[in-house]
Amino acid sequence: MGAILNPLYNLVSGVIIFFHKLLTPIFGADSGVTWSLSIVGLVILIRIILIPLFVKQIKSQRALTALQPQMKAIQTKYKDDRQKQSEEIMKLYKTHKTNPLASCFPILAQAPIFFALFTVLNGIAAKTDAGVSAPIARGFLKGDYLDSAAQATFFGAKISQSFLGSPDTTVKIVTVILIFIMSATTFTTQRQLMVKGMPKMDSSNNMMLQQQKIMLYLFPVIFAISGVNFPVGVLIYWSTTNFWTWGQQFYVIKRNPTPGSPAYEELERKRSHKDKEKNRDASGTVLNPENPEVGQNNQEDDVKGQRKQPKKKKKR
Amino acid sequence: MRRVFVAVINAYQKWISPAFPPRCKYYPSCSSYAASAISHYGFRGLVMSIWRLVRCNPWSHGGLDYAVTPANTFKNQPINSQKTSVGVR
Repeated sequence: MGAILNPLYNLVSGVIIFFHKLLTPIFGADSGVTWSLSIVGLVILIRIILIPLFVKQIKSQRALTALQPQMKAIQTKYKDDRQKQSEEIMKLYKTHKTNPLASCFPILAQAPIFFALFTVLNGIAAKTDAGVSAPIARGFLKGDYLDSAAQATFFGAKISQSFLGSPDTTVKIVTVILIFIMSATTFTTQRQLMVKGMPKMDSSNNMMLQQQKIMLYLFPVIFAISGVNFPVGVLIYWSTTNFWTWGQQFYVIKRNPTPGSPAYEELERKRSHKDKEKNRDASGTVLNPENPEVGQNNQEDDVKGQRKQPKKKKKR
Repeated sequence: MRRVFVAVINAYQKWISPAFPPRCKYYPSCSSYAASAISHYGFRGLVMSIWRLVRCNPWSHGGLDYAVTPANTFKNQPINSQKTSVGVR
């Protein structure tokens, strides 16, 4: 087990120490800000490494526009057989070598990193049976760094302390707030995706509603149960990564939504409106670029003041 | 032992998975695959499930991939009883 975990400890602690060295000239070596931002740095680094995977997924989602007619055909052909429908759509993805789904492995791959961070931070908080602080060095987090990290605070709560592991009221307040942030960011991210980012599904509105309900109540419960055991540092990691996910998704939904989703339609509407605006002449008449003779004025409400005289064609 | 694994997977499908958008590239989803593989093949099914999870990565194209061909599954349990909350669009 150690053979697998030690490299992970080295990786996680190495990155944290790297950011700590980088930030020390600004905030000071023992400042809680330095240590907290070092954890944020770890998140940012991991998420930047994951961006190409995300871009790949978005690209295959765009490639889906071309398959839209075939998908419609499958959906109507197997209207009453959801299994057959899924089978055929998966076959379609496979033959066109494009798949808009994110895949299961990356989520699982992140778990060991999360576990390593958890262990490294818990090592800082370790105590002897008598309750004397006895930090355990893991990876590169040792010596002076270990002592400094053991004292580092985040809004007054030591980053190595957890809700259940500390009698300190400040720690309890800070962890509860962080757990709340974790739940709220996850909730808004998922909701945003469900409401705006996913292609509309026929006859599965019930399922969607049920999902949203489950999620609404389940997340705070899961986070409250697991979060009380996590050190403040891990909660910082989790909250930051949630914010990143939310921002990334917000950008994609605004700029590059999945074809067929409500966000996509919204963008299309905006774009066609913009095109229309571009073709509008000074008097507010929309000119059709292909056929300038046909112009329609759909701006009746905006027309103010005197009506503009239509220009006469110059006589020769 | 098989039952314990399948029960855990079913609990995941019922309580955790619905909270997230579908993400599996295959049909049936990784969790459905694992449930049928483990209940049919035991330990070998567990190894198959882990390999399936590894294959479900950003570079794969997904597609149809049954652990147990549907005809065999049908003898023991109707296909409809398989939970397919993930990967169904």
